[in-house]
Amino acid sequence: MELDQLELNQTLQESQPEGKTIPYLTALIGWSLPAIEACDKLNRPFVVVGPPDFKDYAEKHDITFVGWEFDRLNEGSDKLYKQLKALGAEVAVPLYEECVEWAGALNSRFREEPRLFNRSLLLRDKGMMKRKAQMAGIKVGVFEEARDKEDVKRFLKRVNDALLKVDGDKYEPIHCKPLDKAGSVGHRAIDDPADIDALTDSDFPLLMESHLDGQEFSCEVFVNNGKIQFLNITEYVKLGYSNFVPPSPSLEEKRPIIRKAIEQLIEAFEIENGVIHPEYFIMPDGTLHFGEVAARVPGGHIFDLIERAYGFSAYEAQILCSDPNTTEEELRKFFPAEDEALGYAGCLMVHPHVNYIEKLTIPEELEDHSFFEKHDMFTPPQGKVAERVGFGNHYGTIFFFGDDSAEMTRLLVDYEKYDFYL
Amino acid sequence: MPSEVTEGKIARFSRSLTRLEEAPSYAKSRYQTDVFQEANRLLETDEGLEFLYQYAHRFDAAGVFQDGPWEDPSKLQPPLVAGSLQAKGLPYVIEMLSDLRMLAIAEGKGDHPKVSQEMAMEFLNEVMALNLDLLFPNASEASRIEKKENTVETQRLFQFISQYLSSSALSETLIYEIERLTAQRPITVKRTVSMIKMAKEMLRSETSDDQRRMLESYVSSIEGPSELSRSYQQPNEYRKQLMALSTEELRKESEQLGLSMRKTGLCSPHHSVLARFLSRKSPHLLSVLLQLTGKGKANLEEHAELVHQLIKVSLFPSTCQSVYGLALLLERGVLSASPVIPGLRRMIELDIRPEVRSALFNTVGEGEGLTANSILLAGVISVLGQPLGVGQGLNPTCQAARGISLWAQHAPGYLLEIIPRAARDGDIDMVFEGVQIHSKDLQGGLAPDLHPELDPVSLVLVPHLDRIYSEMMSRVALRGEDGHRWVNPAFYGNWVQKGFSTVIEPITGSVTDYPGFVRLFYATHHPEYNDDYELIYPNPVGIFITNVHGKMLGFHAVSIQRIAKSPDGEYRVYFYNPNNDGSQNWGQGIECTVMGKGELSGESSLPFEEFTSRLYAFHYNPYEQGDAYAVEAENISIVKSLAKESWGQDYTWISK
Repeated sequence: MELDQLELNQTLQESQPEGKTIPYLTALIGWSLPAIEACDKLNRPFVVVGPPDFKDYAEKHDITFVGWEFDRLNEGSDKLYKQLKALGAEVAVPLYEECVEWAGALNSRFREEPRLFNRSLLLRDKGMMKRKAQMAGIKVGVFEEARDKEDVKRFLKRVNDALLKVDGDKYEPIHCKPLDKAGSVGHRAIDDPADIDALTDSDFPLLMESHLDGQEFSCEVFVNNGKIQFLNITEYVKLGYSNFVPPSPSLEEKRPIIRKAIEQLIEAFEIENGVIHPEYFIMPDGTLHFGEVAARVPGGHIFDLIERAYGFSAYEAQILCSDPNTTEEELRKFFPAEDEALGYAGCLMVHPHVNYIEKLTIPEELEDHSFFEKHDMFTPPQGKVAERVGFGNHYGTIFFFGDDSAEMTRLLVDYEKYDFYL
Repeated sequence: MPSEVTEGKIARFSRSLTRLEEAPSYAKSRYQTDVFQEANRLLETDEGLEFLYQYAHRFDAAGVFQDGPWEDPSKLQPPLVAGSLQAKGLPYVIEMLSDLRMLAIAEGKGDHPKVSQEMAMEFLNEVMALNLDLLFPNASEASRIEKKENTVETQRLFQFISQYLSSSALSETLIYEIERLTAQRPITVKRTVSMIKMAKEMLRSETSDDQRRMLESYVSSIEGPSELSRSYQQPNEYRKQLMALSTEELRKESEQLGLSMRKTGLCSPHHSVLARFLSRKSPHLLSVLLQLTGKGKANLEEHAELVHQLIKVSLFPSTCQSVYGLALLLERGVLSASPVIPGLRRMIELDIRPEVRSALFNTVGEGEGLTANSILLAGVISVLGQPLGVGQGLNPTCQAARGISLWAQHAPGYLLEIIPRAARDGDIDMVFEGVQIHSKDLQGGLAPDLHPELDPVSLVLVPHLDRIYSEMMSRVALRGEDGHRWVNPAFYGNWVQKGFSTVIEPITGSVTDYPGFVRLFYATHHPEYNDDYELIYPNPVGIFITNVHGKMLGFHAVSIQRIAKSPDGEYRVYFYNPNNDGSQNWGQGIECTVMGKGELSGESSLPFEEFTSRLYAFHYNPYEQGDAYAVEAENISIVKSLAKESWGQDYTWISK
């Protein structure tokens, strides 16, 4: 061993927790700049496992990178594991929905706990997920998996029969979503048998469930060693369009019941480390219905909102919590108290109401409002608007921050109807 | 409605820029949007540019342009600036910031490893010169008619930048641009004229005496080159004044107009008025107005009667450019070719189809009282006088333009045969491998919607020629060889040699024997290796068009006119480029010139090996081959590396 290497190893040893001699790498599963930046800020060495398209970019900016196609089913996970192991990775952090089982597979190898992988699969099949929740005594709606259109027709009819609808009554909707897609991707509400014909073969198999009433919200729960380290509650103003953090007082006061429900969920799903993002419906009497849960970065800019509202980086939090070696002390130092939000942070995701965009208009009252922070919209050079499937991509986001949840709600409701794109 | 700059807006911009500056290089894109948003808020205000400019020297280092098309300022191209500025949304904002960055470099406020102060200044000067309509709004008709995006903001930017540029440097760039355009002597001069009109505005700012003189002479060349013509802008008034002139005064007037026309290739309406007047009253002064040499004069004398008739029928204020065409036609002695005179006479009485008639009328202003025949005849005179001035305009019809140019040079009789066929019968027919092809039976072509900014002859012929060429090409598409081999001789005529060589092996699409291809071109074309066979007829060749970075853009048709030593003793290929923008930069230091290297009007030129490096197909006479083996290996390797590193990137090389 050369002299300078010897020195290097010594300094490294000093900065490591006991029992660890090499600085291990965190493997970020999925390409996400904010996650990369967070890992960098935490001074944790990392490797990014992402779609091969990002290779050039990673090389240009000296990011350790392993190209991987997550969509393709393959038997090569062992190769990926060995490659990462050789680089010195010991923790995998999933960033996107389709990365969850890959991170699960890797973590189960890193920690030699085969069941970690199975648990991650539970989060990737909405049918299995619901069944598991139901078996654990968690309240869920009526659900079924559908293989074809006939299944959907029958389910719609049976649910409405159960609701004692007679001919001529308007049907209550059922919800259809792909088994393995993130949150609202591909989500459709169907209340008319005629809508079923719009489904295509590629939409199947899918999960159907009865409509749940109540106020919808999500939680972003940072879990380490099976314990809740920080519970964020995000109030949905309109699913797929607007949400804010922390929730308004009426929902905030339900935090104890919500925390209990989450603990039940963590136990049922045997979640140990990382972030989970469950969605619930809450009835006025405080009854909670479980919608679904994911183990990745949530959509709707929620991580950005958490950072704005609480002042800590949710990406950093996710990385810290994903690592079983993170100490209780580190986590206490990192997270603020849940009731110490600096204000309400909300965002509106803007979808054009037209098929062809001529121009963008941002009303002055919006820009002048004290809650307005910023938006990221420009007139698109190409005017044609892509057809929206389910709750597909939005065209821009407006961020708000203020001290009044009622005013926040008003802004999000009002501007959701505004025609930004003409 | 312009909003105001507020402290808040500046502070927000400043904050967003600082956040971007602090971001690690891989994460710049996360913070760029905020900078663009805040910049946009400032750009909406009157003074916003001033504030943004104070930050402009930090843009590059902060990563404002990182990982995007504007990243490397040394690769930016002045002709693309206006398009970005008039685009919607983001490109406009980034272009604005990029131009301010350029200004900061030019002013020495910021520095850049790849762009010097001078380069930045040159860039901005060229941007200004190309967009004078934005700097001086209302100078051009187009800006009045077409409402573009971001007009106010763009004009503000140009005004802002122009404060920092010396107006004399700007004038110089402008003069160079006009010189470059006029050197090519195009038949269609719309673009030149609109540039000169804008140059007029420059006369109000400070320029050096020399530049002022140059600009003034360009302006007067289109608005009246003499005292008298300047004072009487209206053709009818000018005509009245002419009647009062003494013979000597008339001679002087003719001389002034004639010299100006010969110097720039541009005519004013006065040229037509004077030509008509002289033709009737003082025919002996026509040669003075046309500034004819001995040969021209002899031709004029020989065909005085016909020329008289041509002037009467075709030269009007709105067809004034054909005065220049007529002068060159006489110089070229075209009238001595026996089919030309009857051919021209036929134009006068030709029964022109209604759709052709209306296309022709659209080329002149309303209410001029011209007949379609007059316009067509004027066009024919121009084409016969300036065969290299034929252009494809904004159409992808280089082959058709090349044909018209070739026939105007070497087969005026044939050209005068097909023009009436198209204008009267709506059909042109050609025989291809024993099969008669009629354009009237064909659909499509490369340009089904022809852009009408063309000379009258092209307007009449191109729709037919284009369809016939396409039809011939599709008939040979499956032969497994480059179809131009058969199509060019059939289409253009027997002036095209039957030997044919191409770089690309059509079936595999790869480059097979490149050194062999290059050697053959040297042996058939380079005067030192080809046994002194001079090129007699233009050789229609195919070239790879590459952009300023050497990246392949596509194929293009040009004609080699001649190969000769330039005044400074290097062998150059002189060629006709139908796109009328002959001085393009093809990357790798390959810049076509249109003047100063021994070019005739309308020719572009390149050193022999540089031209060869862009060649993909040429014709040759199999009986006139020189010594291929004698070509130095060094020459071949220069050509090959130029080829391989540019268009060659897009092909597989099997070749050594």
